[in-house]
Amino acid sequence: MRTERLLLLALLLLLVASLGAAGWFGLRLVQDRLANADIAALASGRDIPVDADARPALLLARLSFLATRDRFEEAQPLVNRIMATGDTPIVATALYDLANARLRAALSHLEINEIDPAVPLVRLAKEGYRRALGLDPGLWDAKYNLDIAMRLVRDFPQIETSGEDLPPEAAKRLWTDLPGVPQGLP
Amino acid sequence: MRAPPRLPAGLLLLLAPLFAGAAAQAQVRAVDLYAPRPFGYTIGDTIELSAEIALDAPFRLDPASLPRPRALSYWLDLRDVRLDDRGVADGVQRYTLHLAYQTFYAPLEPKRLDLPALPLTAADGGRRIELSVPSWSFLMSPLREIVASAGGTTMALRPDMAPPRIATAGTLRHLGVALIGALLALLLLAWHLGWGPLGRRRTRPFARAARAVTAELAPSTSSPPAYGRALVALHRAFDATAGAGVFAEDLPGFFAAHPAFAPVEGEVRRLFAASRRLFFGEDPAAAARELAPEDVLALARRLRAVERGSA
Repeated sequence: MRTERLLLLALLLLLVASLGAAGWFGLRLVQDRLANADIAALASGRDIPVDADARPALLLARLSFLATRDRFEEAQPLVNRIMATGDTPIVATALYDLANARLRAALSHLEINEIDPAVPLVRLAKEGYRRALGLDPGLWDAKYNLDIAMRLVRDFPQIETSGEDLPPEAAKRLWTDLPGVPQGLP
Repeated sequence: MRAPPRLPAGLLLLLAPLFAGAAAQAQVRAVDLYAPRPFGYTIGDTIELSAEIALDAPFRLDPASLPRPRALSYWLDLRDVRLDDRGVADGVQRYTLHLAYQTFYAPLEPKRLDLPALPLTAADGGRRIELSVPSWSFLMSPLREIVASAGGTTMALRPDMAPPRIATAGTLRHLGVALIGALLALLLLAWHLGWGPLGRRRTRPFARAARAVTAELAPSTSSPPAYGRALVALHRAFDATAGAGVFAEDLPGFFAAHPAFAPVEGEVRRLFAASRRLFFGEDPAAAARELAPEDVLALARRLRAVERGSA
């Protein structure tokens, strides 16, 4: 009856292992569902605090929530935390979304001829798009918006000439951000 | 290969400037650049080049002279540099140098741009020679029109990418597999231990006998005939396990064939003695003295445990 005993032990082991696995996957499923509920809540506009060590997807949802409300100072540390997770698609999305938010903010500044605050935003947006493209060169939306940000620098003088009373030092500071030649000009 | 004739050191020093150029040419057999299509690139595209480098054998590329991945200019990043050493064949050391660039130029119209030449160094221990991967030019194309023509504004951004939900389908599938595994293990365990309706398996005669004995010797129904039926049930189980009728004189053979039952040998012998008193001596009282009904019950359970390996 030695084989009977071995069979009994093997069956008990199988039972314990599969119950353990079921418990683990069940726990993960519950956690995933909770995180998804939080992501949905953030997407629908309810602010939910997110732990520093939360999932990258949840961090991204909170980042997106903050970025679309122009809370860049709170959003930037989240980008760093998302980058520390090493989840490349999520990192690229985070960089892209934050750059988009900054570029949108810069555009709304420019619409009312506030050039000073717009310049660093455009510069940071460009940096964000470039890093997103560095991670995923196939992000066409990032290419397109980076192209807009690149031409925006050249668009400043037009606004300056068409605008009313722009302090001359603002225009000067604007051009210091250009690396030698206007980017993209033939 | 024949070693070059040795020249006096002083003469070599004098001649060195004269021959330096020619010598470098001789030691670098070839640098061939393999490039992709030279047109149709947009902002953010990657360009992968490879260069086949052939050097005269003692010379090897100096790894320190390879460029490090970095921003080469405000619009050009060198993303990746990988050198494959393809070994020496026929006195020629060959390498393949893989280069990956990424361009961030934003042209307004198709524009020709250059990837700069890369200087490299090779050495054979003492002498050093310079070589270079040639420059390469390509055409970049704009992504957008300069002035919006279709009503919209040129400043309309592409939308944000929505934060993705965490995918749970895989976890759900794994959970299902684990639960099925647990159920399967439970069923197999029930079959193995003879739980519930699975206790009637033919290969578990003692499990069946134990059920029968438990039923016969329940305190409410206990009677001399029931005691006899309980003993018979146990004997049937012995017969089924051995595959033939087992009598008291067959017991040594039975224990030899089924060593797992050895621990209960004493009780089994008492069982057979009790049966002999009951069925052949017609003496129920003596039989019950030999093996009380509770002992029969206990023995039936022990035999069942031995049979399924959980004793």
